[in-house]
Amino acid sequence: MQRADSVVTPTPRVRHIRVAALAMLARCLTAFLGGYVLTATVATLVARVLPISRVEATIWGMIPAFLFYATVGLWCFHEPRLARAAAAVWGGAIVAGVALWLLGVRP
Amino acid sequence: MTRSLRQSMAWIHSWLGLLAGWILFAMFLTGTASYFRPEITRWMQPELPMNRTAGADAAQNAVASLSRDGIRDQQWFIQLPNARDVVTHVYATPKPDAQATDERPGKRRKRAAEQVLDPATGAAIHARDTRGGEHFYRFHFQLQLPHPWGRWLAGVCAMFMLGAIISGVVTHKRIFADFFTLRWNKGQRSWLDAHNVSAVLALPYHAVITYTGLMTLVLMYLPYPIAINYKQPLDFGRDAYGLPGDAVASGRAARLVPIAPLVRDAEARLGMPAARLVVQQPGDAAATVAVTGSSGARLNARTGTVVYSGATGALLQPPTGGGPALSTAGVMLGLHLANFAAPTLRWVLFLLGLTGAAMVGTGLLLWTAARRKPGATPFFGLRLVERLNIATIAGLPLGMGAYLLANRVVPAAAEGRASTEVATMFYVWGGAAVLQLLRPARQAWAILFGAGAAVFAAIPIANALTTSRGLLASWRAGDGLFMGFDLAMLGVAALLGIAAWRAARRPAGRAPRRTQGVVHV
Repeated sequence: MQRADSVVTPTPRVRHIRVAALAMLARCLTAFLGGYVLTATVATLVARVLPISRVEATIWGMIPAFLFYATVGLWCFHEPRLARAAAAVWGGAIVAGVALWLLGVRP
Repeated sequence: MTRSLRQSMAWIHSWLGLLAGWILFAMFLTGTASYFRPEITRWMQPELPMNRTAGADAAQNAVASLSRDGIRDQQWFIQLPNARDVVTHVYATPKPDAQATDERPGKRRKRAAEQVLDPATGAAIHARDTRGGEHFYRFHFQLQLPHPWGRWLAGVCAMFMLGAIISGVVTHKRIFADFFTLRWNKGQRSWLDAHNVSAVLALPYHAVITYTGLMTLVLMYLPYPIAINYKQPLDFGRDAYGLPGDAVASGRAARLVPIAPLVRDAEARLGMPAARLVVQQPGDAAATVAVTGSSGARLNARTGTVVYSGATGALLQPPTGGGPALSTAGVMLGLHLANFAAPTLRWVLFLLGLTGAAMVGTGLLLWTAARRKPGATPFFGLRLVERLNIATIAGLPLGMGAYLLANRVVPAAAEGRASTEVATMFYVWGGAAVLQLLRPARQAWAILFGAGAAVFAAIPIANALTTSRGLLASWRAGDGLFMGFDLAMLGVAALLGIAAWRAARRPAGRAPRRTQGVVHV
């Protein structure tokens, strides 16, 4: 019955649930997808800028990546303000991505 | 959503555990069995001899066998025997135009993807066709899904596991007190205690095995650091592992130098026994022979590679020493594969792997125990989780047992028997998962565990009836491997039998007691 009502004019309660569900979806996307993009860009940036041999820099970029990813993902679910979590994760990924784009492949 | 760190971590811990739990349980259990991958394979091919041959001689015999009818291959991959695997495995890649240039018209060129050779003679061995321990090993990170989806799904679940471990540690304020407070038969409280004990007892193991598991496929999950540092990804392989590039055939024929001296030279340079050879363009002047070491008793699984010219035997590339990062990654890989572990340590790791499965399993049971209200009709999600728990925790061991039993029941000469064995595992597992829906939950637990116990108990019996290497015969022959395998099967049967008995013993109507003081969920 509530379902039928909600098609016409959502009750405040249903609207609240919808907003909460969308917020949770955004949070999950930020944690899982955003966390992965941030991990990938940061790991790549580390591999690019470490002033050691190519192969060593490549591996050092990879080794801590999963711990970083897990920490970022968990923090996304702890941070109360979704906007702040999203800004940090997606913003960080963009900053690292732009830096990589400017640096390009190691000559 | 303003909560304490412990609250938010408890919340995410239960969701991570629930969503990935069933797959993680399967990954833990089949991965644990994979500690004995070569041993399982040997048990599943009882026809194989038990001789031992030095790597250099085995390599020479394999090459002699491969070039007996003239060389029409582009590459040979030769896996040498070792203490745990007594045969030589050969994978030959035919030349792209091999069919056209075959000098003997009318004789169809048929070469299997993998050949098993007797190391002492180089003759092909015809043992029963089976996937052996390889099946559990592959399943534990590919989940029987098409490439690359299985590996990605396994990676996502392993990431969930890593998140669950970290959040679980934050959630538990009394890690060491929990360790001493296992309370039996107290419903939900006991499941929580069991979950805590299995998690805390082996926490370093769980953390290491999860992290190193992710590292085994890091090149697939995070290939971008390679892309930013190398224009050609193959150059990374050369830098990191000393792999030679693809040898291009010169078109001039040249005899391959004797391989045994090259292998001995490589073993001296690497300071370890040889594990495998890759011969590219054999029979051509541009042939290369790459010899890779075996990590053996070393923690670091990354071993060097020495490359020689196949036509002259000249050293083309000495082994490259790895830097700290490469060594770290090599040790992480070694910790996961545990090839360094001698039998005693291997059994300890096996038991630790079982505590991993127990941790995931008790976590899943805890989810239902914490949400079941006495006297109330369970909601849909609760029933769903409960049935999936039965299908996975009690169903998978049954399927694994059926796979091993099928190895002795399916005739050794049957057509396509390797895939029949694999299919048996999934049909039995899937069938049990569906059929258990017909019975009340507690009965379903008991029936599936009981069936699992019966299947595992039947394995040594079928072994004794169909081969000459039954428990008594193996004991008389002093064959530790076959004896150990049968005893392990009886041990698993006993464990599952106890589980079935405990599940059946509870009166059906009694709801588990709810107790206070639940820390999380």
